[in-house]
Amino acid sequence: MSDTIIVGMSGGVDSSVTAKILKDQGYNVECVFMKNWEGDPENCNAEEDYKDALSVCDHLDIPLRSVNFSNEYWNKVFQHFIDEYAKGRTPNPDVLCNREVKFKAFLNYAFDLGAVKIATGHYAQINQLENEFELLKGLDKNKDQSYFLYLLGQNELSKSLFPIGNIDKIKVRKLAEGSGLINYAKKDSTGVCFIGEQKFFKDFLKKYIPVKPGLIQTVDGKICGEHDGLMYYTMGQRKGLGIGGGHGFKEAPWFVADKDLDHNILIVAQGHDHSSLFHQGLEADQIHWINETPTSSLENISAKIRYRQDDQSCKITELSKNSCKVIFKDPQFAITPGQSIVFYVDNKCLGGAIIDKRF
Amino acid sequence: MSYFDHNATTPIHPLVLNKMSSTSEACFGNPSSIHTSGRKAKSLIESSRRVIAKALQASTNEIIFTGSGTEANNSVLWSLIYEKNKHVITSSIEHPAILKVLDTLSLFGVSYTKLPVNKFGEVNPQNLEESITDNTGLISIMMINNEVGTINPIKDLIKVAKEKNIPFHSDAVQTIGKIPLSVKNIQADYLSFSGHKFYGPKGVGFLYKKKKSKLNPLIIGGGQEGQFRAGTENISGIVGLAEAVRLSIENLDNRILHLEKLESEFKDKLLHHSPNVIFNGHPEKHAPGVISASFIGKRSDILLAELDREGIEVSSGSACGSGSVKPSFVLEEMGIPENQNTSTIRISFGRSNSIKDVSILVKALVKFTNV
Repeated sequence: MSDTIIVGMSGGVDSSVTAKILKDQGYNVECVFMKNWEGDPENCNAEEDYKDALSVCDHLDIPLRSVNFSNEYWNKVFQHFIDEYAKGRTPNPDVLCNREVKFKAFLNYAFDLGAVKIATGHYAQINQLENEFELLKGLDKNKDQSYFLYLLGQNELSKSLFPIGNIDKIKVRKLAEGSGLINYAKKDSTGVCFIGEQKFFKDFLKKYIPVKPGLIQTVDGKICGEHDGLMYYTMGQRKGLGIGGGHGFKEAPWFVADKDLDHNILIVAQGHDHSSLFHQGLEADQIHWINETPTSSLENISAKIRYRQDDQSCKITELSKNSCKVIFKDPQFAITPGQSIVFYVDNKCLGGAIIDKRF
Repeated sequence: MSYFDHNATTPIHPLVLNKMSSTSEACFGNPSSIHTSGRKAKSLIESSRRVIAKALQASTNEIIFTGSGTEANNSVLWSLIYEKNKHVITSSIEHPAILKVLDTLSLFGVSYTKLPVNKFGEVNPQNLEESITDNTGLISIMMINNEVGTINPIKDLIKVAKEKNIPFHSDAVQTIGKIPLSVKNIQADYLSFSGHKFYGPKGVGFLYKKKKSKLNPLIIGGGQEGQFRAGTENISGIVGLAEAVRLSIENLDNRILHLEKLESEFKDKLLHHSPNVIFNGHPEKHAPGVISASFIGKRSDILLAELDREGIEVSSGSACGSGSVKPSFVLEEMGIPENQNTSTIRISFGRSNSIKDVSILVKALVKFTNV
């Protein structure tokens, strides 16, 4: 019997095509649907996604099993997510979900089920060298998801496959359509998976974190409005501030520049190019390297401070075991504590860290 | 494929299928129409009703066709919202088609008490007696548990209800074809049944409602089923249901013997090779051919997948609850520890299983659990 590869199947087009490709390559493919969230059925699409997964697997004649990791998700991802928001930071649950759920709980489960490797529909590539594995960007630069995978280590990379990492999304959809997969045109998922659309975000957070309204101040110290709670805002945010022209200010839009957590004040600046929205450097901690630790003199290093950002040239000026200081060639808009900074040399992902401060 | 999950559902009996397809071909009329096509359809429904009534020793006007066993349960429970006494006594190991309904009904003023079960899954009649209040308007306790097969002391429980003059309902979907059943003998007010549990079609069931027992309809409309269940009848489904009841009752002794033989063969063989296996449920008072078996140290979800790859189909917990590795609440209520609970599978044999199938099953179980 050929090797068993177990695909993490979400019901989306990417994981479906992943399964299809592996099956065509002659592997013994099975799929596992993960249910990572209980409750909130109005926000969470799990049931619809499961139906799609079932239809796809039936069409491909692949067994589909399902597993419930909602405990793991709640304890390892969601609690942290809430803690970070309560601290006024903007966490990235997908990064943690990959480390704690998809590439830990699911990976272990798949191996218990007899898999020799797992596969997911991530747009990233794994390069096997003689003694180690490298994480590379997906071929489709527009969809590259290495940013979300920087917390993986050698163990995880050695046990994983990303079969669509070297295909672009348009082709993935074409493959899906050509193979008769019902979800070939299914919308890409956006936003935080357990909240759903952005418009639910405020109501969702309210359920878990006490609301603490306060004042909005301009960077010059002028009070210009009231906020509903610092946790609802993120650096660089423009929408939802409730301060338009009026107020005796000129017409340019306002942006969140900073949060004064001690005084519960939201600090805003007018105009996208306002200098207070830009910083030259940052400090980050909880550092993780996929391969050997780079030296701080490393040349050609670049970083992303948010998903889908173009690589930004930078230098790691200080580097310890757990933290680093980074200076960018160009000042960066809205560096956001809680988000990840992920480092690259060309298309190789080196690892990353969690942004703590900017300067 | 080797199918050992007959408590979840059963394959349709070939004779049932014959009746259903000939009915679908020949009879399209609306039973409420007064012309020839309508009368022909109506007549098929009524002859089906007679078949079922006769098989259960009921009167024809005590049989109400529904869309499922779940619907039959819902009809009886929802009926309470019109009544004065809105307290229900049930057991802690009922199917969600009872427990979830009662949760919802709490929004409509219905309260309920869940009786505990002993380690075999039985409700104690004395507990029932002690739980009855002035406000108790219904007792609903299942006849056979779907996960472990334990048969409740239903006659003793009904005796308690009768003494206090409280209507008694039983979810009896696991009974037909497994135990003898006569409504005269049982004296329940309401019993729920589902066609697909005994080689009949899915999407059709029936409610037995004793003549004088009250029922407020759940589905209201054109007045079918004596005003108790509106909606144009599922004619071929009803014809198939009746045929499945008839076959089950006519061949009951043989079916029971067959299931008992498979069960004892299975248990003997398995114990021989895997002496550490634990069987849950009542050792004697349980439905034939239904086995809840724990292989401590082997997670049931993994075992299910491994068996599935070999074409062997069993279940863990109830079919509706599968898809997760959560412990079974039924086993929890029976006081079974979690490590045993999460390593439990349910085997439910059926009429087309053979002794050879038992060997295949035992061989696979031994292979995957003796590691």
